[in-house]
Amino acid sequence: MHNRAVVIEENLKACLTNGELPQSYAQVKANLQAISAEKLIEIFESGILSRILDLKTRELRNTGDSFYTIGSSGHELNAVLGHVLRVDDMAFLHYRDAAFMIQRSKELPRQTILYDMLLSFVASSLDPISGGRHKVLGSKELFIPPQTSTIASHLPKAIGAALSIPRNTDLKLKGFMKKDGIIMCSFGDASLNHASAQSAVNTAGLVSFQNIPLPLLFVCEDNGTGISVRTPDGWVKANMQFKPGIKYFSCDGLNICDTYQTAKAASEYVRKMKKPAFLHIKLVRLLGHAGSDIELNYRTQSEVESAEANDPLLHTATILVENKLLTKAQILSLYQQLRQRVDRVAKEVVPLRKLETAQEIKASLIPSGKLRETQVPVQKEVREKSFGREWKKLSNKWQMNKLINFALRDILLQYPHSLIFGEDVARKGGVYNVTHGLSKSFSQKRVFNSPLDETNILGTAIGFAHNGFIPIPEIQFLAYVHNAEDQIRGEAATLSFFSKGQFTNPMVIRIAGLAYQKGFGGHFHNDNSITVFRDLPGVVLACPSNGRDAVLMLRECIRLAHEEGRVCIFLEPIALYQTKDLLEPGDELWASSYPEDTKEMIPFGEMNIVDEKDHELCIVSYGNGFYMSMQAKKILENKYNKKIKVIDLRWLTLIDHKKLVSELEKSKNVLVVDECRKSGSLSEEIMTAMIENATKLPKMARLTGEDCFIPLADAANLVLIQTPDIVTKVLDMLGASDE
Amino acid sequence: MNKKTALVICPGRGVYNSPELGYLAKYHKDQKDFIQKIDQMRGMGGEVTVSELDSMEKFKPSIHTKGENAASLIYTCSYCDYQAMSDQYEIVAVTGNSMGWYTALACGEVLDYAGSFHLINTMGGMLKDGLIGGQMIYPIVNENWVRDREKENFVKNKVNEMGAFISIEFGGYLVIGGEDTVLKKLMSELPEIDRFPMKLSGNGAFHTPLFGEISAKAKELISRDSFQKPTLPLIDGQGKIWQPLSTDINALYHYTLETQVCETYDFTKAVEVGLKEFAPDHIIILGPGTTMGGAVAQILIENKWRGLSSKTDFVTTQNDEPFVLSMGLEQQRKRVI
Repeated sequence: MHNRAVVIEENLKACLTNGELPQSYAQVKANLQAISAEKLIEIFESGILSRILDLKTRELRNTGDSFYTIGSSGHELNAVLGHVLRVDDMAFLHYRDAAFMIQRSKELPRQTILYDMLLSFVASSLDPISGGRHKVLGSKELFIPPQTSTIASHLPKAIGAALSIPRNTDLKLKGFMKKDGIIMCSFGDASLNHASAQSAVNTAGLVSFQNIPLPLLFVCEDNGTGISVRTPDGWVKANMQFKPGIKYFSCDGLNICDTYQTAKAASEYVRKMKKPAFLHIKLVRLLGHAGSDIELNYRTQSEVESAEANDPLLHTATILVENKLLTKAQILSLYQQLRQRVDRVAKEVVPLRKLETAQEIKASLIPSGKLRETQVPVQKEVREKSFGREWKKLSNKWQMNKLINFALRDILLQYPHSLIFGEDVARKGGVYNVTHGLSKSFSQKRVFNSPLDETNILGTAIGFAHNGFIPIPEIQFLAYVHNAEDQIRGEAATLSFFSKGQFTNPMVIRIAGLAYQKGFGGHFHNDNSITVFRDLPGVVLACPSNGRDAVLMLRECIRLAHEEGRVCIFLEPIALYQTKDLLEPGDELWASSYPEDTKEMIPFGEMNIVDEKDHELCIVSYGNGFYMSMQAKKILENKYNKKIKVIDLRWLTLIDHKKLVSELEKSKNVLVVDECRKSGSLSEEIMTAMIENATKLPKMARLTGEDCFIPLADAANLVLIQTPDIVTKVLDMLGASDE
Repeated sequence: MNKKTALVICPGRGVYNSPELGYLAKYHKDQKDFIQKIDQMRGMGGEVTVSELDSMEKFKPSIHTKGENAASLIYTCSYCDYQAMSDQYEIVAVTGNSMGWYTALACGEVLDYAGSFHLINTMGGMLKDGLIGGQMIYPIVNENWVRDREKENFVKNKVNEMGAFISIEFGGYLVIGGEDTVLKKLMSELPEIDRFPMKLSGNGAFHTPLFGEISAKAKELISRDSFQKPTLPLIDGQGKIWQPLSTDINALYHYTLETQVCETYDFTKAVEVGLKEFAPDHIIILGPGTTMGGAVAQILIENKWRGLSSKTDFVTTQNDEPFVLSMGLEQQRKRVI
């Protein structure tokens, strides 16, 4: 029979009626001094409910009422962890941990776990965690943030969350997690091979190796298979047994007593020692990977049957019966009652409301409402003391990197729950001195170096944010973000969406990027592709073109993170860090004094419009492009008597097309100057927006970088826009010659 | 034939009033053995028997609503109703409101008849020597029985501010407990809506921290040994499900004689859990009385259960094919027995 769900259920019932229970664990003695009989039975009930939900979701799939059938069969004894851990221990769960969640729900009154999970299975908009957006395991009350299924992508955040617990204590802050809480993060054996998992495991060891507290319990649920690929026997153990800084525990996930004893020991070790542990649970996978997966395509019948013979529910039944805690008849009756209960609840849930409009679906892309009160600015005396000798020089003309440095100092003062971290940001003060002196002033608890691993940096930020911090991670160069982008794309950006805004991970990711820098050459320090950030729904992308804007936009980003729970990316044009002059050496037209009033900000979405009466052409640009456009404007005015309007977009995502188009429509000629590549750059969006929305289309053109990576030395200029190119293009558009 | 499934609700205090006089005599002649046993136990304690109470010529609030009488009388009526239910119903879970929790324990066989009586009679008689605090009731729904969140928040904030307590979350009503002076002040500050705020005369500040001493006394008088595991899933006043096989008897004893005595009894949540976790074909409200139906309907509306979104919806459903069956209502009782 191919329907293994039916086979497994029939097998279970048969064993509980006339058949025999498997005898592998018949000799196991339950230590009822350590755990009560009732608790063992309750955990067993959670496992049964989890199994029945798997069966039900497959039945519902057959009738078109359920959609995503990945289940927890074979992993039911992870329910033990639902009991062993406290409800206030945040859990980042493996998608096979339904039993954990069911058991945890029993540790807290007022839960309707069966109903809620079925709502999720049938994608009802009433689903309390994701509102019908996905089948996810999650609950605000149960302290389980929902995870998407990007393999192992939830592990790096566990590091940040675990670090955040002692950090809150150190900084005397009140987070969302308890001081003696721990973090649990579970995943499968195949996931352990993933780069994201390796990043997390490595970082956990590295942190622990330095005796930095990290109360983190990794739980590897090893069923020996990743979809169809076998994990070699012994691989997980060999890989993890002797990791420095991480204590290894191992148990048999088919034996409820062993699982309980070991899980308890592991969690107690983590809680007491504040060190990471790796709990390796060996179990089986039943029912294939997901509903669409036919195991017999890659496993023999006997292999499938052998796994089914190791059904943890049957082994647990054996242990409970042999220890005289339950009879077979009682277990069968329990199973049947729960089965009927699930069937009845499913019937109620199926017709319930689904998501109906795109607008409704998008409603949770960003958290709604004000999550936190406006942070009160600190007193002048406090600032003065912190700024030291520089306090009196704030009105001097400064370049961008120094102005951002000032802004960050003010932010650290005003937001005691803000943290800065990244590669080289502490003593060195960053490659471009943006964080210079901050670690010394605010201690390594708030400004600290990260391992050379962007996945870890971004994951750590997500985790810290789960506990009330406003992380300001730094990615040293734009090109370095790409290997870690899933931490933004698959994790940070999606949290509000998949939790109806109930969980948020506010942060401001500072990234030094874009091209044109003279010091370092080559692609990796001059990356000009920002496309990766532009299709992330809800994410704010800020790109200041000058120091003053950088300060005011950074403040706005922090406010958005703090008050609205937003994920912001703050893209700093490296080439403009040190730039003070616009037209000639010493003119200081690109430098500015520090805006001292910390309440002064540039609201999200506000463009900088350098208008010109009777202008002949409007340039729209951002970043280095705006800087060069301003140079071109002066040249065109002075040399060619052409009046040019220039717009700096400043905010590069969630652009208000209506507003932009109505502004551009005022001009007869519009030139889009986009320093990024021709393909996939912002210029495409602007051109499209104009074509789609303009009532009268001006003459339009764009200037972009080449579809090319950036080469070394002066050759870089050949694939990037230069100021003369802009001048020439404008003249060309205006029908004037470049004489 | 498949049985219909039912969630059974045991009523709390205040459901035996003038119209209910003679309830036992009218409906439960065939359960005279059980009633006799209760009477005997009452008699041994020198208390007026439930049969006597039920057969008095007139309903006398000074007698019938007194805790030491009302609790046992209501329990006897409710338990007899429970026994009278037709076996065409499969009871999937039992819950209760306030004192109804003790009846639920009896239905779930947590205590035998003597133990149940002892628990109920003891708890009912706790205020014999004088009330501790008092209770009042106030609505938080509009005329369509739809929850008015603004009003609810307003009332709850007031309750907190003034040092009163939410005693029972009772569907569209809040039962508020506290010291008499506090309640008096609170009542003067809550806007009048029809006959509300209404003081519940003869009631103490049940389910509030004021009952700490009562809880301690109860634990002295009632033995943990009389408690057994339930034979049916029970849903308590925190919405927790007590499963027959996995119930920790110590925890159940602790909940019954401490937690629910001193903390809010969330009947609303209990019914919600019953609906969502057991999805019964019907809710059956044991008698006596008919006053529980409104609160249960308001909970159904709050949860939009089977699409119900207003009082009108509920009334229509009840007329067509009733979902809620109140044994205190003659017409609906017929469907249950």
